[in-house]
Amino acid sequence: MPHQVFARVLSNDPIIAGHQVITCDAPSLAAEAQPGHFVNVLTTERFDPLLRKPFSVYTVDRDRGQISLLYSIVGATTEGMARKRPGEILDIVGPLGGRLFQADTRPAAAHIMVGGGYGVPPLVFLSRELRLAQSEPNITFIIGARRKDLLLCEAELIAAGVDARVATEDGSHGVSGRVTDVLEPLLLEKSGLPVMVYCCGPTPMMRAVAELCLRLGVTCQLSVEVAMPCGIGVCMGCVLDLTDGRRVRCCVDGPVFEAAEVKWS
Amino acid sequence: MTTPNTAVKIGKLTLRNPIVTGSGTFGFGPEMANIVDLNKLGAVVVKSTSREPRLGNLTPRIVETPSGILNAIGLQNSGVDNFIAEKLPFLRNYDVPIIVNLVGTGVADYVHLAEKLTAAGGVHGLEINISCPNVSHGCDFAVDPALTAELIREIRKVTDLTLITKLSPNVTDMVPIARAAVDAGSDALSLINTLIGTAIDIRRRKFRLANITGGLSGPAVKPIALRCVWQVHRALPNVPLIGMGGIMSATDAIEFLLAGATAVAIGTATFVNPTAVTDVVSGLEKYLMENGIADVNELVGAVTQ
Repeated sequence: MPHQVFARVLSNDPIIAGHQVITCDAPSLAAEAQPGHFVNVLTTERFDPLLRKPFSVYTVDRDRGQISLLYSIVGATTEGMARKRPGEILDIVGPLGGRLFQADTRPAAAHIMVGGGYGVPPLVFLSRELRLAQSEPNITFIIGARRKDLLLCEAELIAAGVDARVATEDGSHGVSGRVTDVLEPLLLEKSGLPVMVYCCGPTPMMRAVAELCLRLGVTCQLSVEVAMPCGIGVCMGCVLDLTDGRRVRCCVDGPVFEAAEVKWS
Repeated sequence: MTTPNTAVKIGKLTLRNPIVTGSGTFGFGPEMANIVDLNKLGAVVVKSTSREPRLGNLTPRIVETPSGILNAIGLQNSGVDNFIAEKLPFLRNYDVPIIVNLVGTGVADYVHLAEKLTAAGGVHGLEINISCPNVSHGCDFAVDPALTAELIREIRKVTDLTLITKLSPNVTDMVPIARAAVDAGSDALSLINTLIGTAIDIRRRKFRLANITGGLSGPAVKPIALRCVWQVHRALPNVPLIGMGGIMSATDAIEFLLAGATAVAIGTATFVNPTAVTDVVSGLEKYLMENGIADVNELVGAVTQ
Protein backbone atom coordinates (compact mmCIF):
# COMPACT_ATOMS: atom_id res chain seq x y z
CA MET A 1 0.00 0.00 0.00
CA PRO A 2 1.33 3.48 -0.78
CA HIS A 3 2.55 5.25 2.32
CA GLN A 4 4.89 8.06 3.26
CA VAL A 5 8.33 7.25 4.60
CA PHE A 6 10.85 9.66 6.03
CA ALA A 7 13.81 7.53 5.08
CA ARG A 8 17.29 8.02 6.49
CA VAL A 9 19.89 8.34 3.74
CA LEU A 10 22.67 5.78 4.09
CA SER A 11 24.72 6.66 1.01
CA ASN A 12 24.43 8.89 -2.02
CA ASP A 13 27.22 8.45 -4.50
CA PRO A 14 27.94 9.31 -8.14
CA ILE A 15 28.13 6.34 -10.50
CA ILE A 16 28.68 8.07 -13.81
CA ALA A 17 28.69 11.74 -14.73
CA GLY A 18 25.42 13.35 -13.64
CA HIS A 19 23.99 10.16 -12.16
CA GLN A 20 23.89 9.04 -8.54
CA VAL A 21 22.56 6.16 -6.46
CA ILE A 22 20.88 7.10 -3.21
CA THR A 23 20.34 4.30 -0.69
CA CYS A 24 17.93 4.77 2.19
CA ASP A 25 16.83 2.91 5.27
CA ALA A 26 13.19 2.14 4.43
CA PRO A 27 12.17 -1.34 5.62
CA SER A 28 8.50 -1.00 4.70
CA LEU A 29 9.34 0.02 1.13
CA ALA A 30 12.00 -2.66 0.82
CA ALA A 31 9.49 -5.28 1.95
CA GLU A 32 6.79 -4.26 -0.50
CA ALA A 33 8.62 -3.03 -3.60
CA GLN A 34 8.50 -5.22 -6.70
CA PRO A 35 9.97 -4.62 -10.18
CA GLY A 36 7.91 -1.95 -11.91
CA HIS A 37 7.08 -0.11 -8.71
CA PHE A 38 8.09 3.50 -8.42
CA VAL A 39 8.26 5.97 -5.57
CA ASN A 40 7.54 9.69 -5.40
CA VAL A 41 10.17 11.92 -3.84
CA LEU A 42 9.85 15.42 -2.39
CA THR A 43 12.95 17.42 -1.52
CA THR A 44 11.43 20.76 -0.56
CA GLU A 45 8.40 21.79 1.47
CA ARG A 46 8.57 25.32 0.12
CA PHE A 47 6.34 24.52 -2.87
CA ASP A 48 8.83 25.10 -5.67
CA PRO A 49 8.68 22.62 -7.19
CA LEU A 50 5.32 21.76 -5.69
CA LEU A 51 4.92 18.19 -6.89
CA ARG A 52 6.85 15.07 -6.04
CA LYS A 53 8.84 13.41 -8.80
CA PRO A 54 8.69 9.69 -9.64
CA PHE A 55 11.67 7.33 -9.54
CA SER A 56 11.60 3.66 -10.38
CA VAL A 57 13.00 1.35 -7.76
CA TYR A 58 16.57 0.32 -8.59
CA THR A 59 17.44 -2.17 -5.87
CA VAL A 60 16.03 -3.40 -2.60
CA ASP A 61 17.81 -5.20 0.19
CA ARG A 62 14.99 -6.86 2.08
CA ASP A 63 17.26 -8.30 4.78
CA ARG A 64 18.65 -4.89 5.64
CA GLY A 65 15.46 -3.00 4.88
CA GLN A 66 17.08 -0.74 2.32
CA ILE A 67 15.99 0.72 -0.97
CA SER A 68 18.07 2.40 -3.68
CA LEU A 69 17.13 4.82 -6.42
CA LEU A 70 19.34 5.58 -9.42
CA TYR A 71 18.73 9.10 -10.63
CA SER A 72 20.04 11.54 -13.14
CA ILE A 73 20.52 15.12 -11.92
CA VAL A 74 18.26 17.09 -14.24
CA GLY A 75 16.11 19.45 -12.18
CA ALA A 76 15.29 20.91 -8.80
CA THR A 77 14.18 17.65 -7.18
CA THR A 78 17.15 15.62 -8.33
CA GLU A 79 19.48 18.50 -7.40
CA GLY A 80 17.89 18.36 -3.95
CA MET A 81 18.44 14.61 -3.83
CA ALA A 82 22.08 15.04 -4.86
CA ARG A 83 22.63 17.37 -1.88
CA LYS A 84 21.43 14.76 0.63
CA ARG A 85 24.19 13.51 2.92
CA PRO A 86 24.15 10.24 4.85
CA GLY A 87 22.00 10.69 7.96
CA GLU A 88 19.66 13.18 6.32
CA ILE A 89 16.03 12.36 5.56
CA LEU A 90 14.45 11.69 2.17
CA ASP A 91 10.66 12.13 1.98
CA ILE A 92 9.31 9.23 -0.09
CA VAL A 93 5.80 8.04 -0.96
CA GLY A 94 5.59 4.49 -2.23
CA PRO A 95 5.49 1.89 -3.43
CA LEU A 96 3.43 3.18 -6.34
CA GLY A 97 2.14 1.42 -9.42
CA GLY A 98 -0.77 -0.93 -9.99
CA ARG A 99 0.35 -3.22 -12.77
CA LEU A 100 3.97 -4.31 -12.57
CA PHE A 101 6.38 -6.42 -14.60
CA GLN A 102 5.14 -10.00 -14.80
CA ALA A 103 7.99 -12.48 -14.88
CA ASP A 104 7.64 -15.06 -17.64
CA THR A 105 7.37 -18.40 -15.85
CA ARG A 106 7.36 -20.64 -18.92
CA PRO A 107 10.11 -23.29 -18.75
CA ALA A 108 13.30 -22.25 -20.58
CA ALA A 109 11.91 -18.79 -21.24
CA ALA A 110 14.33 -16.27 -22.71
CA HIS A 111 14.02 -13.02 -20.77
CA ILE A 112 15.18 -10.01 -22.77
CA MET A 113 15.57 -6.70 -20.96
CA VAL A 114 15.76 -3.58 -23.11
CA GLY A 115 16.68 -0.48 -21.15
CA GLY A 116 17.52 2.97 -22.36
CA GLY A 117 18.97 5.71 -20.16
CA TYR A 118 17.13 5.98 -16.85
CA GLY A 119 14.96 3.07 -18.01
CA VAL A 120 17.78 0.69 -17.10
CA PRO A 121 17.44 0.68 -13.24
CA PRO A 122 13.97 -0.94 -12.97
CA LEU A 123 15.11 -3.70 -15.33
CA VAL A 124 18.22 -4.31 -13.23
CA PHE A 125 15.82 -4.79 -10.29
CA LEU A 126 13.71 -7.18 -12.40
CA SER A 127 16.82 -9.16 -13.41
CA ARG A 128 17.80 -9.55 -9.75
CA GLU A 129 14.32 -10.69 -8.79
CA LEU A 130 14.26 -13.19 -11.67
CA ARG A 131 17.53 -14.66 -10.48
CA LEU A 132 16.08 -14.99 -6.98
CA ALA A 133 12.85 -16.58 -8.20
CA GLN A 134 14.11 -18.89 -10.95
CA SER A 135 17.13 -21.16 -11.13
CA GLU A 136 19.55 -19.98 -13.81
CA PRO A 137 17.12 -17.86 -15.80
CA ASN A 138 18.10 -17.10 -19.38
CA ILE A 139 18.48 -13.31 -19.23
CA THR A 140 19.88 -11.06 -21.93
CA PHE A 141 20.10 -7.36 -21.10
CA ILE A 142 20.34 -4.76 -23.84
CA ILE A 143 21.55 -1.41 -22.53
CA GLY A 144 21.14 1.63 -24.72
CA ALA A 145 22.76 5.01 -24.30
CA ARG A 146 23.71 7.96 -26.41
CA ARG A 147 27.41 7.62 -25.52
CA LYS A 148 29.67 5.24 -23.61
CA ASP A 149 30.00 7.65 -20.66
CA LEU A 150 26.20 7.63 -20.21
CA LEU A 151 25.93 3.85 -20.08
CA LEU A 152 24.34 2.55 -16.88
CA CYS A 153 24.88 -0.67 -14.95
CA GLU A 154 26.91 -2.64 -17.52
CA ALA A 155 29.62 -3.70 -15.07
CA GLU A 156 27.21 -4.85 -12.39
CA LEU A 157 25.18 -6.87 -14.86
CA ILE A 158 28.30 -8.59 -16.18
CA ALA A 159 29.45 -9.23 -12.59
CA ALA A 160 26.08 -10.86 -11.91
CA GLY A 161 26.58 -13.16 -14.88
CA VAL A 162 23.97 -11.51 -17.08
CA ASP A 163 24.51 -11.55 -20.84
CA ALA A 164 24.79 -7.76 -21.27
CA ARG A 165 24.79 -6.23 -24.74
CA VAL A 166 25.28 -2.58 -25.50
CA ALA A 167 24.13 -0.15 -28.15
CA THR A 168 25.42 3.42 -28.23
CA GLU A 169 24.14 5.94 -30.70
CA ASP A 170 27.65 7.30 -31.41
CA GLY A 171 29.21 3.86 -31.55
CA SER A 172 31.59 4.60 -28.65
CA HIS A 173 30.83 1.23 -27.08
CA GLY A 174 29.07 -1.94 -28.21
CA VAL A 175 26.94 -1.89 -31.33
CA SER A 176 26.75 1.46 -33.07
CA GLY A 177 23.09 2.31 -33.26
CA ARG A 178 19.94 1.80 -31.28
CA VAL A 179 18.72 -0.94 -28.97
CA THR A 180 16.50 -2.28 -31.75
CA ASP A 181 19.66 -2.93 -33.83
CA VAL A 182 20.70 -5.37 -31.10
CA LEU A 183 17.21 -6.64 -30.31
CA GLU A 184 16.22 -7.74 -33.81
CA PRO A 185 19.10 -10.20 -34.34
CA LEU A 186 18.79 -11.32 -30.72
CA LEU A 187 15.14 -12.25 -31.25
CA LEU A 188 16.21 -14.37 -34.23
CA GLU A 189 18.93 -15.93 -32.09
CA LYS A 190 16.33 -16.85 -29.45
CA SER A 191 13.67 -18.04 -31.87
CA GLY A 192 12.43 -21.44 -30.85
CA LEU A 193 12.44 -20.42 -27.18
CA PRO A 194 9.55 -18.77 -25.42
CA VAL A 195 10.62 -15.12 -25.42
CA MET A 196 9.51 -12.23 -23.23
CA VAL A 197 10.79 -8.70 -23.76
CA TYR A 198 10.71 -6.23 -20.85
CA CYS A 199 11.38 -2.63 -21.84
CA CYS A 200 11.81 0.73 -20.16
CA GLY A 201 13.27 3.94 -21.51
CA PRO A 202 12.43 7.08 -23.43
CA THR A 203 9.13 6.95 -25.31
CA PRO A 204 10.58 6.92 -28.87
CA MET A 205 12.81 3.99 -27.90
CA MET A 206 9.93 2.07 -26.33
CA ARG A 207 7.77 2.69 -29.35
CA ALA A 208 10.47 1.30 -31.66
CA VAL A 209 10.92 -1.77 -29.41
CA ALA A 210 7.15 -2.28 -29.17
CA GLU A 211 6.68 -2.08 -32.92
CA LEU A 212 9.56 -4.48 -33.57
CA CYS A 213 8.15 -6.99 -31.06
CA LEU A 214 4.65 -6.73 -32.50
CA ARG A 215 6.02 -7.25 -36.01
CA LEU A 216 7.90 -10.37 -34.89
CA GLY A 217 5.06 -11.67 -32.71
CA VAL A 218 6.99 -11.42 -29.46
CA THR A 219 5.28 -10.40 -26.22
CA CYS A 220 6.72 -7.21 -24.81
CA GLN A 221 6.03 -5.48 -21.50
CA LEU A 222 6.66 -1.74 -21.36
CA SER A 223 7.03 0.41 -18.29
CA VAL A 224 5.88 3.74 -19.65
CA GLU A 225 7.60 7.01 -18.90
CA VAL A 226 5.16 9.87 -18.52
CA ALA A 227 4.82 12.73 -16.06
CA MET A 228 2.86 11.46 -13.07
CA PRO A 229 1.76 14.45 -11.00
CA CYS A 230 0.19 12.51 -8.08
CA GLY A 231 1.19 8.87 -8.62
CA ILE A 232 -1.84 7.62 -6.68
CA GLY A 233 -4.54 7.66 -9.35
CA VAL A 234 -6.45 10.80 -8.47
CA CYS A 235 -5.14 13.68 -10.59
CA MET A 236 -5.83 12.13 -14.02
CA GLY A 237 -2.73 13.83 -15.39
CA CYS A 238 -0.80 10.75 -16.56
CA VAL A 239 -3.32 9.23 -18.92
CA LEU A 240 -2.42 6.97 -21.81
CA ASP A 241 -4.64 5.89 -24.71
CA LEU A 242 -4.95 2.15 -25.26
CA THR A 243 -5.82 0.36 -28.48
CA ASP A 244 -9.14 -0.81 -26.97
CA GLY A 245 -10.27 2.82 -26.71
CA ARG A 246 -9.74 3.19 -22.99
CA ARG A 247 -7.88 6.20 -21.61
CA VAL A 248 -6.13 4.92 -18.50
CA ARG A 249 -3.90 6.30 -15.76
CA CYS A 250 -0.28 5.20 -16.09
CA CYS A 251 0.31 5.40 -12.33
CA VAL A 252 -2.32 2.97 -11.05
CA ASP A 253 -3.51 1.21 -14.22
CA GLY A 254 0.17 0.75 -15.20
CA PRO A 255 2.96 1.70 -15.34
CA VAL A 256 3.55 -1.61 -17.13
CA PHE A 257 1.50 -2.33 -20.26
CA GLU A 258 1.85 -4.86 -23.04
CA ALA A 259 3.10 -3.46 -26.33
CA ALA A 260 -0.08 -4.50 -28.12
CA GLU A 261 -2.20 -2.41 -25.76
CA VAL A 262 -0.49 0.93 -26.24
CA LYS A 263 -1.82 3.35 -28.83
CA TRP A 264 1.07 5.61 -29.81
CA SER A 265 0.12 9.20 -30.47
CA MET B 1 -9.95 20.44 28.69
CA THR B 2 -12.63 18.30 27.08
CA THR B 3 -12.32 17.39 23.42
CA PRO B 4 -13.41 20.38 21.33
CA ASN B 5 -16.41 20.14 19.07
CA THR B 6 -15.31 19.89 15.48
CA ALA B 7 -18.70 19.21 13.88
CA VAL B 8 -20.07 21.75 11.42
CA LYS B 9 -23.27 22.01 9.43
CA ILE B 10 -23.42 22.48 5.67
CA GLY B 11 -27.06 22.64 4.64
CA LYS B 12 -28.73 19.50 5.97
CA LEU B 13 -25.42 17.77 6.47
CA THR B 14 -23.53 17.49 9.71
CA LEU B 15 -19.83 16.96 9.05
CA ARG B 16 -17.78 15.44 11.87
CA ASN B 17 -15.12 18.01 11.12
CA PRO B 18 -14.77 20.83 8.59
CA ILE B 19 -12.25 19.06 6.37
CA VAL B 20 -13.50 17.73 3.04
CA THR B 21 -11.84 16.59 -0.17
CA GLY B 22 -11.69 18.80 -3.23
CA SER B 23 -13.50 17.40 -6.23
CA GLY B 24 -11.11 16.00 -8.80
CA THR B 25 -8.30 15.52 -6.32
CA PHE B 26 -9.53 12.43 -4.47
CA GLY B 27 -10.84 10.21 -7.26
CA PHE B 28 -14.09 8.44 -6.41
CA GLY B 29 -12.93 7.11 -3.06
CA PRO B 30 -11.45 3.66 -3.71
CA GLU B 31 -8.20 5.19 -4.96
CA MET B 32 -7.67 6.84 -1.57
CA ALA B 33 -9.35 4.41 0.83
CA ASN B 34 -6.19 2.38 1.40
CA ILE B 35 -4.20 5.55 2.07
CA VAL B 36 -6.50 7.49 4.41
CA ASP B 37 -9.45 6.46 6.58
CA LEU B 38 -12.45 8.02 4.84
CA ASN B 39 -14.38 7.87 8.12
CA LYS B 40 -12.03 10.48 9.60
CA LEU B 41 -13.10 13.11 7.03
CA GLY B 42 -15.84 15.70 7.20
CA ALA B 43 -17.12 14.62 3.78
CA VAL B 44 -15.87 13.04 0.60
CA VAL B 45 -16.45 15.14 -2.51
CA VAL B 46 -15.94 12.89 -5.50
CA LYS B 47 -14.72 13.79 -8.96
CA SER B 48 -17.01 15.55 -11.42
CA THR B 49 -19.64 13.27 -12.84
CA SER B 50 -21.40 13.93 -16.13
CA ARG B 51 -24.38 12.39 -17.91
CA GLU B 52 -22.28 10.56 -20.46
CA PRO B 53 -18.72 9.24 -20.06
CA ARG B 54 -16.05 11.79 -20.94
CA LEU B 55 -12.51 11.01 -22.11
CA GLY B 56 -11.23 14.45 -21.12
CA ASN B 57 -8.50 16.46 -22.81
CA LEU B 58 -5.29 15.42 -24.49
CA THR B 59 -1.95 15.41 -22.63
CA PRO B 60 -0.06 17.28 -21.27
CA ARG B 61 -2.92 17.96 -18.88
CA ILE B 62 -0.99 19.15 -15.85
CA VAL B 63 2.07 21.38 -15.73
CA GLU B 64 3.85 22.86 -12.76
CA THR B 65 4.21 26.60 -12.29
CA PRO B 66 5.79 28.38 -9.33
CA SER B 67 4.01 27.12 -6.18
CA GLY B 68 1.17 25.77 -8.23
CA ILE B 69 -0.09 23.59 -11.02
CA LEU B 70 -2.15 24.30 -14.09
CA ASN B 71 -4.57 21.51 -14.92
CA ALA B 72 -6.73 20.91 -17.94
CA ILE B 73 -8.07 17.42 -17.33
CA GLY B 74 -11.38 18.10 -19.06
CA LEU B 75 -13.67 16.30 -16.61
CA GLN B 76 -12.66 12.76 -17.56
CA ASN B 77 -15.16 10.40 -15.91
CA SER B 78 -17.14 7.27 -16.66
CA GLY B 79 -20.57 8.89 -16.50
CA VAL B 80 -23.29 8.92 -13.89
CA ASP B 81 -24.66 5.43 -14.58
CA ASN B 82 -21.21 3.94 -14.10
CA PHE B 83 -20.75 6.02 -10.94
CA ILE B 84 -23.98 4.70 -9.45
CA ALA B 85 -23.32 1.10 -10.46
CA GLU B 86 -19.57 0.85 -9.85
CA LYS B 87 -18.44 3.56 -7.45
CA LEU B 88 -21.34 4.31 -5.12
CA PRO B 89 -21.66 0.78 -3.63
CA PHE B 90 -18.09 1.09 -2.34
CA LEU B 91 -18.74 4.53 -0.86
CA ARG B 92 -21.89 3.29 0.93
CA ASN B 93 -19.62 1.19 3.16
CA TYR B 94 -18.33 4.32 4.84
CA ASP B 95 -19.85 6.47 7.54
CA VAL B 96 -19.06 9.77 5.84
CA PRO B 97 -21.25 12.15 3.82
CA ILE B 98 -20.76 11.65 0.09
CA ILE B 99 -21.01 14.76 -2.04
CA VAL B 100 -21.06 14.31 -5.80
CA ASN B 101 -19.74 17.09 -7.99
CA LEU B 102 -21.88 17.26 -11.10
CA VAL B 103 -21.28 18.88 -14.40
CA GLY B 104 -23.41 19.25 -17.49
CA THR B 105 -23.67 21.18 -20.70
CA GLY B 106 -27.13 22.57 -20.06
CA VAL B 107 -29.89 22.80 -17.44
CA ALA B 108 -31.46 19.51 -18.58
CA ASP B 109 -28.18 17.67 -18.03
CA TYR B 110 -27.83 18.91 -14.46
CA VAL B 111 -31.47 18.15 -13.65
CA HIS B 112 -31.09 14.63 -15.03
CA LEU B 113 -27.96 14.08 -12.92
CA ALA B 114 -29.57 15.47 -9.78
CA GLU B 115 -32.62 13.23 -10.20
CA LYS B 116 -30.52 10.12 -10.79
CA LEU B 117 -28.13 10.77 -7.93
CA THR B 118 -30.94 11.59 -5.52
CA ALA B 119 -32.81 8.41 -6.42
CA ALA B 120 -29.65 6.28 -6.18
CA GLY B 121 -29.41 6.49 -2.39
CA GLY B 122 -26.14 6.93 -0.55
CA VAL B 123 -25.46 10.39 -1.96
CA HIS B 124 -25.80 13.11 0.65
CA GLY B 125 -25.03 16.29 -1.19
CA LEU B 126 -24.60 17.66 -4.67
CA GLU B 127 -21.91 20.14 -5.57
CA ILE B 128 -22.97 21.95 -8.71
CA ASN B 129 -19.95 22.60 -10.86
CA ILE B 130 -20.86 25.68 -12.86
CA SER B 131 -17.30 26.79 -13.12
CA CYS B 132 -14.97 24.26 -14.68
CA PRO B 133 -12.58 26.33 -16.79
CA ASN B 134 -11.42 23.43 -18.94
CA VAL B 135 -14.39 22.55 -21.06
CA SER B 136 -16.20 24.44 -23.74
CA HIS B 137 -18.82 26.69 -22.15
CA GLY B 138 -17.84 25.41 -18.69
CA CYS B 139 -17.99 28.90 -17.26
CA ASP B 140 -21.21 30.12 -18.88
CA PHE B 141 -23.34 29.66 -15.77
CA ALA B 142 -20.73 30.86 -13.33
CA VAL B 143 -20.30 34.28 -14.91
CA ASP B 144 -23.99 35.16 -15.06
CA PRO B 145 -26.24 35.54 -11.99
CA ALA B 146 -29.43 34.96 -13.98
CA LEU B 147 -28.16 31.76 -15.58
CA THR B 148 -26.86 30.54 -12.22
CA ALA B 149 -30.22 31.24 -10.60
CA GLU B 150 -32.16 29.44 -13.32
CA LEU B 151 -29.92 26.39 -13.09
CA ILE B 152 -30.05 26.12 -9.31
CA ARG B 153 -33.82 26.69 -9.25
CA GLU B 154 -34.40 23.81 -11.68
CA ILE B 155 -32.08 21.47 -9.77
CA ARG B 156 -33.72 22.45 -6.47
CA LYS B 157 -37.09 21.28 -7.84
CA VAL B 158 -35.90 17.69 -8.23
CA THR B 159 -33.79 17.08 -5.14
CA ASP B 160 -33.93 17.54 -1.39
CA LEU B 161 -30.22 16.78 -1.02
CA THR B 162 -27.94 19.51 0.23
CA LEU B 163 -27.03 21.69 -2.74
CA ILE B 164 -23.66 23.36 -2.88
CA THR B 165 -22.85 25.68 -5.79
CA LYS B 166 -19.17 25.83 -6.73
CA LEU B 167 -18.24 29.34 -7.77
CA SER B 168 -15.66 30.56 -10.22
CA PRO B 169 -13.14 33.24 -9.31
CA ASN B 170 -12.86 34.13 -12.99
CA VAL B 171 -15.45 36.90 -12.69
CA THR B 172 -15.36 40.58 -11.80
CA ASP B 173 -17.42 40.14 -8.64
CA MET B 174 -18.42 36.80 -7.14
CA VAL B 175 -20.99 38.24 -4.74
CA PRO B 176 -23.94 38.72 -7.14
CA ILE B 177 -23.48 35.16 -8.42
CA ALA B 178 -23.20 33.80 -4.90
CA ARG B 179 -26.37 35.63 -3.90
CA ALA B 180 -28.22 34.41 -7.01
CA ALA B 181 -27.31 30.80 -6.25
CA VAL B 182 -28.45 31.06 -2.63
CA ASP B 183 -31.69 32.87 -3.50
CA ALA B 184 -32.46 30.10 -6.00
CA GLY B 185 -32.10 27.41 -3.36
CA SER B 186 -28.43 26.58 -2.97
CA ASP B 187 -27.83 25.58 0.67
CA ALA B 188 -24.15 26.38 0.59
CA LEU B 189 -21.37 27.59 -1.68
CA SER B 190 -17.93 26.26 -2.41
CA LEU B 191 -15.18 28.54 -3.58
CA ILE B 192 -12.94 28.92 -5.36
CA ASN B 193 -12.61 26.82 -8.44
CA THR B 194 -9.28 27.20 -10.24
CA LEU B 195 -8.08 30.41 -11.86
CA ILE B 196 -7.63 30.30 -15.61
CA GLY B 197 -4.01 30.54 -16.67
CA THR B 198 -1.49 29.31 -19.16
CA ALA B 199 2.22 28.57 -19.47
CA ILE B 200 4.60 28.66 -22.42
CA ASP B 201 7.70 26.61 -23.22
CA ILE B 202 10.09 29.15 -24.74
CA ARG B 203 12.45 26.49 -26.10
CA ARG B 204 9.74 24.86 -28.20
CA ARG B 205 7.73 28.10 -28.43
CA LYS B 206 4.59 26.17 -27.65
CA PHE B 207 1.94 26.24 -24.95
CA ARG B 208 2.80 23.77 -22.23
CA LEU B 209 -0.78 22.43 -21.93
CA ALA B 210 -2.41 20.64 -24.85
CA ASN B 211 -5.58 22.57 -23.99
CA ILE B 212 -3.61 25.89 -24.03
CA THR B 213 -5.32 27.15 -20.87
CA GLY B 214 -5.84 25.39 -17.58
CA GLY B 215 -6.93 26.01 -14.03
CA LEU B 216 -4.32 27.22 -11.57
CA SER B 217 -4.36 25.66 -8.10
CA GLY B 218 -1.98 25.19 -5.21
CA PRO B 219 -0.34 27.61 -2.78
CA ALA B 220 -0.01 30.23 -5.54
CA VAL B 221 -3.78 30.90 -5.45
CA LYS B 222 -4.31 30.84 -1.69
CA PRO B 223 -4.31 34.61 -1.07
CA ILE B 224 -6.89 35.10 -3.82
CA ALA B 225 -9.08 32.26 -2.56
CA LEU B 226 -8.92 33.60 0.96
CA ARG B 227 -9.96 37.06 -0.22
CA CYS B 228 -12.89 35.57 -2.19
CA VAL B 229 -14.11 33.61 0.85
CA TRP B 230 -13.91 36.71 3.02
CA GLN B 231 -15.81 38.84 0.46
CA VAL B 232 -18.61 36.32 0.01
CA HIS B 233 -18.86 35.64 3.74
CA ARG B 234 -19.12 39.36 4.47
CA ALA B 235 -21.95 39.70 1.96
CA LEU B 236 -23.75 36.48 2.94
CA PRO B 237 -22.75 35.83 6.55
CA ASN B 238 -25.39 33.16 7.17
CA VAL B 239 -24.53 31.00 4.17
CA PRO B 240 -22.17 28.10 4.87
CA LEU B 241 -19.10 28.31 2.67
CA ILE B 242 -16.67 25.54 1.80
CA GLY B 243 -13.40 27.37 1.25
CA MET B 244 -10.64 26.03 -0.94
CA GLY B 245 -7.63 27.12 -2.92
CA GLY B 246 -4.08 26.16 -2.08
CA ILE B 247 -4.68 24.74 1.38
CA MET B 248 -1.57 22.73 2.22
CA SER B 249 -1.70 22.60 6.02
CA ALA B 250 -3.88 23.05 9.09
CA THR B 251 -2.58 26.62 9.31
CA ASP B 252 -3.94 27.36 5.85
CA ALA B 253 -7.26 25.69 6.72
CA ILE B 254 -7.64 27.78 9.87
CA GLU B 255 -7.03 30.95 7.84
CA PHE B 256 -10.00 30.01 5.64
CA LEU B 257 -12.21 29.34 8.66
CA LEU B 258 -11.26 32.71 10.12
CA ALA B 259 -12.06 34.36 6.77
CA GLY B 260 -15.57 32.94 6.93
CA ALA B 261 -15.52 29.37 5.63
CA THR B 262 -17.53 26.83 7.63
CA ALA B 263 -15.61 23.97 6.02
CA VAL B 264 -12.55 23.71 3.81
CA ALA B 265 -11.54 21.43 0.97
CA ILE B 266 -8.09 19.97 0.51
CA GLY B 267 -7.24 19.58 -3.15
CA THR B 268 -3.84 19.90 -4.78
CA ALA B 269 -2.18 19.12 -1.42
CA THR B 270 -3.34 15.51 -1.79
CA PHE B 271 -1.22 15.19 -4.95
CA VAL B 272 1.86 16.13 -2.92
CA ASN B 273 1.01 14.41 0.36
CA PRO B 274 -1.58 11.66 -0.01
CA THR B 275 -2.52 11.95 3.68
CA ALA B 276 -2.90 15.75 3.55
CA VAL B 277 -6.63 15.60 4.37
CA THR B 278 -6.20 13.64 7.60
CA ASP B 279 -3.03 15.58 8.47
CA VAL B 280 -5.11 18.78 8.35
CA VAL B 281 -7.82 17.17 10.53
CA SER B 282 -5.20 16.32 13.19
CA GLY B 283 -3.57 19.73 12.93
CA LEU B 284 -6.89 21.50 13.36
CA GLU B 285 -7.76 19.43 16.45
CA LYS B 286 -4.37 20.25 17.93
CA TYR B 287 -4.88 23.97 17.29
CA LEU B 288 -8.30 23.92 18.99
CA MET B 289 -6.88 22.11 22.02
CA GLU B 290 -3.80 24.31 22.31
CA ASN B 291 -5.84 27.49 22.06
CA GLY B 292 -8.65 26.41 24.35
CA ILE B 293 -11.29 26.69 21.65
CA ALA B 294 -14.30 24.57 22.62
CA ASP B 295 -16.05 24.65 19.25
CA VAL B 296 -14.56 25.00 15.79
CA ASN B 297 -17.57 27.09 14.77
CA GLU B 298 -16.18 29.87 16.97
CA LEU B 299 -13.45 30.35 14.37
CA VAL B 300 -15.77 30.88 11.43
CA GLY B 301 -15.45 34.45 10.25
CA ALA B 302 -13.67 35.41 13.47
CA VAL B 303 -10.86 37.35 11.80
CA THR B 304 -10.50 40.96 12.92
CA GLN B 305 -8.56 43.84 11.53
